[in-house]
Formats: sequence, C-alpha cells, structure tokens
Amino acid sequence: MNTYICRYCRQPSDPNSPTCPLCGAPVDIRSSVSDSGWVEQPAIKDMARLQFGQSHLQIAGTTVPVAEFNLAPNDWIYFSHHVLLWTDPATRLTNMPMRGAWNRKMAGMPLIMVEGRGPGHLALSDNHAGEVIALPLQHGQQIWVREHRFLCATGNIRYDWYPSDLWYETGDGNDREMHYPMGQFGDVFGSHEGPGLLLLHAPGNAFIRDLQPGQSLLVQPSALLYRDVSVRMSLHLEYPRNMGFAFWHPRWSYRSIWVRLFGPGRVAVQSVYQRPEDTEIIVNHSYATTHHW
Amino acid sequence: MIQCRWCQAQNQPGTTSCQTCGAPLDEKDKVSDSGWREAPRLRDMTEFQFSGSTCQVEGELVPVAEVALHPRDGVYFEHHVLLWKDESVPLSSLNTGGGMKRTIGGMPHIVTVANGPGRIAFSRDAPGELVVLPLHPGMELDVREHAFLVASHSVQYSFVRIKGLVNLLHGGSGMYMDRFVTAGAPGMLLLHGNGNVLQRTLQPNEKILVEPGGFLYKDSSVQMQAAQMPLKTGHLRHGMYLAEMTGPGRVGIQSMYVHHHAD
Repeated sequence: MNTYICRYCRQPSDPNSPTCPLCGAPVDIRSSVSDSGWVEQPAIKDMARLQFGQSHLQIAGTTVPVAEFNLAPNDWIYFSHHVLLWTDPATRLTNMPMRGAWNRKMAGMPLIMVEGRGPGHLALSDNHAGEVIALPLQHGQQIWVREHRFLCATGNIRYDWYPSDLWYETGDGNDREMHYPMGQFGDVFGSHEGPGLLLLHAPGNAFIRDLQPGQSLLVQPSALLYRDVSVRMSLHLEYPRNMGFAFWHPRWSYRSIWVRLFGPGRVAVQSVYQRPEDTEIIVNHSYATTHHW
Repeated sequence: MIQCRWCQAQNQPGTTSCQTCGAPLDEKDKVSDSGWREAPRLRDMTEFQFSGSTCQVEGELVPVAEVALHPRDGVYFEHHVLLWKDESVPLSSLNTGGGMKRTIGGMPHIVTVANGPGRIAFSRDAPGELVVLPLHPGMELDVREHAFLVASHSVQYSFVRIKGLVNLLHGGSGMYMDRFVTAGAPGMLLLHGNGNVLQRTLQPNEKILVEPGGFLYKDSSVQMQAAQMPLKTGHLRHGMYLAEMTGPGRVGIQSMYVHHHAD
C-alpha cells in the first residue's frame, strides 16, 4: 500500500492519479510556496473527478468553476439554494431545516438549506471568479469556515454555526453601531459518520499556511477562508503614527482592523476580500490587542 | 480537411484553430460526465473570419473582440460594449422597434451599427468567455438579454417576449430574449458569458432544469418554461423556480450569475 499524503488535503491519497481523488489537487506539480511560507492552493484541474461515498463530482471550468455531482442512490449533499446552477429532473430536492432562523436572518445567512438526493445529477457554482476548494474531512475532524464561503457538503457532515465573537462598536448615544468584521457567525463543519467532503468557493486565489503552537499572524478579517478549530483568533487594532494629519471630523480615526490568528493549526486566506471602509472611532470592542505606532 | 467540433466548419489540414469560430482544433473537447460541453476557450490573439472581415480575440480574463471590417461588411451591438474604434469607422443606429415594451423590459431602444472599412473592438465588464456562434442559413437562436456582444450585419435581430405570467414573475430571465435569425446568408454572433460557458444538446422531449440566472442561449426549438420546485427559500418564500428546458436543441449556460431570488 502506498502511503502518499496529499500535501493540500492532508489525507492518504493515490500518487498514481494525476489529481488527488479526494480534493482534486494536482499530484504532478511542484508546490508553489512564497518566501513567507504561504502555500498556493492549486486550482482543481478542469474536468477532474473527486470521489465521495459511492458518488463522484467533476469540476468544469476554471474562471468560475462548476461542481457537477453524479449522486448515487442513498447519497446526498446539502447547499444553499442560490448556488444551484442546474439539476436533472430525477434528482430529489428537499428542504433541510436550520435551527436559529431568526438569528440567521438577522446575520444575513441563508435560512434554509436544500438537500439534493441521488440518484441524479446536479451542478453548483458561486458567482465570483475564483476557485472551488475541496476539503475531505475524516471521521471526527472539524473545520471552521467564514460565513458565505460554503458551497456544499456531503450528507454525513454536520453543520453548526457559532457567534464569531469578533466585534467592535462605533458611535455614541442612540447612534451606536455594531460591526462584525468577519461576519456575526462562523460555520463549523464536522464529520461524525465516517469521512465526508466539504466544498468551499474562494473568490480569487487561495493560500494555506501552517501555524506553529503560539505563532501568530495578522490577516484581513474578510480574507480568512477557513481554519482548523485549534487556531484561535482575536481582534488586533493598529493605529499608524500621526504625522500631523488630522481628520476634520472629531469622530473619525485612522486605524487598521486585523484578525490575529494563534497557532497551532492550518489557516487559509483568499486573495479577494472586502476592504473595510468605516473610519469612525471605536468605542467598544471584543478582546483585542492594540498597537499605536 | 479537419472538421471543427464546435461549429462543424471544415478547415485546412495543419490549422490549429478553426477559421470560422476560433475554437482550438488541436485540443480535446471538455465534456462532463452528464454531457455538458465547455465552450472552447479561445487562445489569446486567435483570429477567425466572417464574410470578408476578421475578428481577433485578445485577453483571456475579460476577452476583447477586435474586428477588422471589410468595406462591404458591418456589425451591430449595444453601444455600451464598444471598447475602441478607428476614427474613420462610421456609426449609425438601428431602431429595434417596440419602444415602450423595450423600455419596460430594460432593453436598449437602439442598436448601434458600425460599417467597414476599419477596426473596432468590443468587451463586456465581467470575467468570462467569448462564445462564437457562426449561424448557418435558417438558424434561430434565443439569447438572454444583455448577453449579446456583437453580430454580423447578415444576422437579423429581433426580440421575443417571454410568455406566461409565471415565467415573467418567476422566470428570472427578464421580460424579453434577443432572437437572432439567419435567412439566406450565414452570419456570426458573439456572446459574452460570465464565468465559464457550458453547452448541452437536448434530445426531443429531454428536459433539464436550469437556474434562470445561468441561462445564456438556446436554439429557438428548445422550449423554456418556469417550473416551481417543492422547496422553501425563506420564511415567507414558497417555491423556488427553475427554467425547465425541453429539447430538441442546444442550451448554453454561464457559471457566474446573479441568482434571480438573491436579496
């Protein structure tokens, strides 16, 4: 038995296949690593097949890739209805109820998931130029994913969501406003009944890095794609040195808001993210480290 | 001779891209297990011909179609896709008719015409692909509104109303589709698909359900009908609608779209 471990999904894989059958990463390429240690997640090759259960999926396209599923009887996946591109009439589509509907609605998250059950074909795609990221999860493995990056998961993967606990507040009196730079909630996916497959969509390119115990890293909050649940995070507020420049508005400040990630564990970022625009003075925040230059 | 598997045109041996549609001739077709074929990715700087004119495709992320017009040729387009042109290329307008109906449908009243000789270039504003569809005499093609980039003057342009209140309210494909018809002479139609473009040929009475936002084009022989799925998409929303396509004919979809029920 060959013991090749895919360097991207970290699962035992087949070295004789041109692509990893579990995550679709090319086997026959050299790893592309930046000087600072970020490993570029290679795009899944056009028409590559990934196996899960008795079913498989195929990736079509490279700009906005489509994940096309061939579902075997008794296999099923779930997804948010807005990523469904096409389905054949034989595939059974039903609703998957979600807990915490009111909180999810307030946080702008999808209220209801759709289950697609085999036998049949269906295809999913997101609406950004980017990459499909396949994360095979072994029994008992969990992964945290930033909200809205989830594309679909196999039926044996459990989906939970928790408050992200990263927030800050601006304004005063009746004009206070809460901000959640990474979204109000984060998704946690865990495989509880054997191995499963989780698909994400990353706008732009995706990069992975392994943090050592105690090692920390600052990233743009909206660029974080996923992390091992062993990686902790908190806010970091950074104030550049004032070189004589003054805002004309007394409630504005010049600062950067980061998320600080603490190892150990794997983290992944995407190269397209939302740039923070608000400049109001922060009056309250979740636990944060601060640095004034 | 080498037959292009995208447009069926014959090409001289040794050519690496089709002279009629620009599709690479030396690459395998990319067809998924369920029969969707990727539209051919045109190589950067690929050239192909229509009538006496030449079109060159530049760029791969948001491709540009640069047309060298023969003195007796013309092309028409929606004015906002015009990227640049030679100063000498004359522009005129083609009234599409149906003024108020097109206003209500959010479609342009006037299609712009450019005549040769000279060079003119077109592009849309999103990452995607150029889809080259040479039209043989007698073909009819329906295209999602605002997806058409440029067509040769021999192709007749009209528009068809999407029929049925359910289709209008829930179809998500707009109120009208552009219809392109060739009569006696062949023509050339260029579309811009957002993301990747996939095409499937449906057999008679074969059905496929497509997210309406992903619909790009179809042969006019393919029937399109809004079909309600037994799904809720929110607390107050009952029923998700997909476009049910019934063959025979070709259906083209794009992988990047705005979901028609997106908030």
